[in-house]
Amino acid sequence: MDFDAIVVGSGISGGWVAKELCERGLKTLIIERGRHVEHKADYQDFATPWEVPNRGCVPEDERARDYAIQSTCHAFNSASKQWWVRDSEHPYSTPADRPFSWIRGYHLGGRSITWGRQTYRMSDHDFGANQRDGHGVDWPIRYADLSPWYDRVERFAGVSGSTEGLEQLPDGQFLPPLDLNCLERAFKQQTEIDHPTRRVTIGRCAHLTEPTPEHIALGRGPCQLRSVCERGCGYGAYFSSLSATLPAAKKTGNLTIVTDAIVERLDYDHAKRRVSAVRVIDAKTGEHRSYQARVVFLCASTIGTTQILLQSRSEYFPNGLANRSDALGRHLMDHVVGIGARGTHPGFLDRYYYGRRPTGIYLPRYVNVAQQDGDFVRGFAFQGYSWRSSWWRGAGEVGLGLELKQRLRNPGKWELLLVGFAEMLPRADNRVSLDEKRKDRWGLPLVHIDCTHGENERRLVERANRDAAAMLAAAGFENIESNGPMKPPGHCVHEMGTARMGRDPATSVLNRYNQAHDVGNLFVTDGSCMTSSGTANPSLTYMALSARAANHAADLLESGEI
Amino acid sequence: MSTGEHGKLNRRALLLGAVFLAGGAAALTRFARQSSASADSGPVFSPDQFALLEQVADTMIPASDTPGALDAGVPEFLREMLANWGSRESHAQVLAVLDGIEKQAWSRFGAAFLALPGERRLEVMRNVDADALARQDPGYGKFKWLLLVGYYQSEVGATQELRYELVPGAWRACLPLAEVGRASAV
Repeated sequence: MDFDAIVVGSGISGGWVAKELCERGLKTLIIERGRHVEHKADYQDFATPWEVPNRGCVPEDERARDYAIQSTCHAFNSASKQWWVRDSEHPYSTPADRPFSWIRGYHLGGRSITWGRQTYRMSDHDFGANQRDGHGVDWPIRYADLSPWYDRVERFAGVSGSTEGLEQLPDGQFLPPLDLNCLERAFKQQTEIDHPTRRVTIGRCAHLTEPTPEHIALGRGPCQLRSVCERGCGYGAYFSSLSATLPAAKKTGNLTIVTDAIVERLDYDHAKRRVSAVRVIDAKTGEHRSYQARVVFLCASTIGTTQILLQSRSEYFPNGLANRSDALGRHLMDHVVGIGARGTHPGFLDRYYYGRRPTGIYLPRYVNVAQQDGDFVRGFAFQGYSWRSSWWRGAGEVGLGLELKQRLRNPGKWELLLVGFAEMLPRADNRVSLDEKRKDRWGLPLVHIDCTHGENERRLVERANRDAAAMLAAAGFENIESNGPMKPPGHCVHEMGTARMGRDPATSVLNRYNQAHDVGNLFVTDGSCMTSSGTANPSLTYMALSARAANHAADLLESGEI
Repeated sequence: MSTGEHGKLNRRALLLGAVFLAGGAAALTRFARQSSASADSGPVFSPDQFALLEQVADTMIPASDTPGALDAGVPEFLREMLANWGSRESHAQVLAVLDGIEKQAWSRFGAAFLALPGERRLEVMRNVDADALARQDPGYGKFKWLLLVGYYQSEVGATQELRYELVPGAWRACLPLAEVGRASAV
């Protein structure tokens, strides 16, 4: 055996698995399809606005030609462009009338560099949802199974937040919270008076507001309130694979990383019911080679992992490895975005703030919590923030000369934005498959994605839009506008669900420890394992599931069961 | 944080300090002018168009108690943006806006924009501005946005006209505007 363990992918899930396995003494290989990235040295986070290429703007022709889909991501700019694939080089197909935004980057650290850093626990409202309303299959775990792992990953990652005591949004191991600004405080006060079941809190985020000795030992420092996070952070102040899990894994001396290696397929040994080898194509030379290990973790992101399993067909698994259930590739979910509202407020003109806070406010789910509450199942949460506009408003306002200069010296009116994140139900026909007719430059079939929003999602969106506008109006806002229209699925970059966990091998791919029901040494801990989407941003749950599965696999290796 | 980054920050701070000691904004302006003087106006603007652009930018954002668009190198910025960023459509839109301003000068005052005194230039631009924004003309919107980006995201605009800190280092959530002073540049 070359290694004890192979981890495919180095993003949030892969980084966590590698760290835990290495710390358990296992020789671990990470296989990353993208290029190597040097933490700190490869970031442009110390460039001022006038030093950033084209003041942050990606050339219009290049944007249209190479980044038509990736550039729809809010974090895409000329200083962060290196973290997105070129759509022109990495195509996928969808039905013409059913777009799906597959937003991603191929490099060491994956999307842990560009994630929104919002960190929320799921609760038993989420883990029990499928069983309660009959959509999808039951999660094989409950909150109590994951709670100690949430504790573990929060302490290591460093999560800033405020304790709220809500059953639908469990509290965690928090570093000190960042404060709400003047208008957010006023909005919180009014909303909580009007609606006792609604809570406005500061966004929980993976930023070091007060680093612990463990964080400092990894070379991480406190958040400097710059809000250039999407470029990468030279202070290591927010959690990423590069700032946190990979350095911790390296410290053990057990980690090997291979970059520019695209996994082509997993070989399956039917006699032993195990993965016997991981076959890769060198992205630069086209050379084929393979690696062997006692256990294999797929953490290649939801669609990437699904693609690898679908490509790993064999006599025994003609529809894709570990796919006896036919659940592989199905039940694709995201969170529905492009909903909510914004408005301006006439007050607080003599108040302002200092610094650039890297998180906003959070309004946890309140519909269908204590009681059934509308003609839909599940729910939505709001993220948002409040700010005073600056010089950029001048382009759309009449006026110039000395008058324009004088006007723009002062900040504009206060504004507040509420962005809804609605749950998506698991539906079998929302599906990732292989396009057998078209190949990529390495000869691998293109991914085909066919995914739509359903009636329940539309009802959730309608309610979220109505509630957002009503809360703003009640808090004295003016010029209230809807955030619509709904974005295509994928736009939230929370794609998940295509290799779901479940109790029954006939209807799910993975068991309660993220282990393939049918292949003992194969684990999957990225978003593809998700049985339902919940309303929370999912990355923290991927971290907890990854750490838990890695330690379970280490236990099984120690006991000789795999 | 590694010492390398401290080094980088310190070098930047030293460089800025040296420039300000040598005469503040005037030194920065001279530097900007010198560096642009050597570049030709290229295929983007003819010399006449560039001269018009300079006076339009100066009218839009004049020098006052703080430096203006010319001091911040806004015309040179637009030239660079059209060379490095703008599509063919954006080129055409910007040239059409300049053309429209020149036409307005002739129809209103019977002279070239460059031949008009300052207050008449202002009147021409006010007309163009109000009319184009009322029509939500996308070309004019882009042109005005480019001028504002060029100014407020320049070093002069961000740090002298507005407020900018590379590393704020703290979050103060709610305080009197008077304590902060001016709007944040980012």
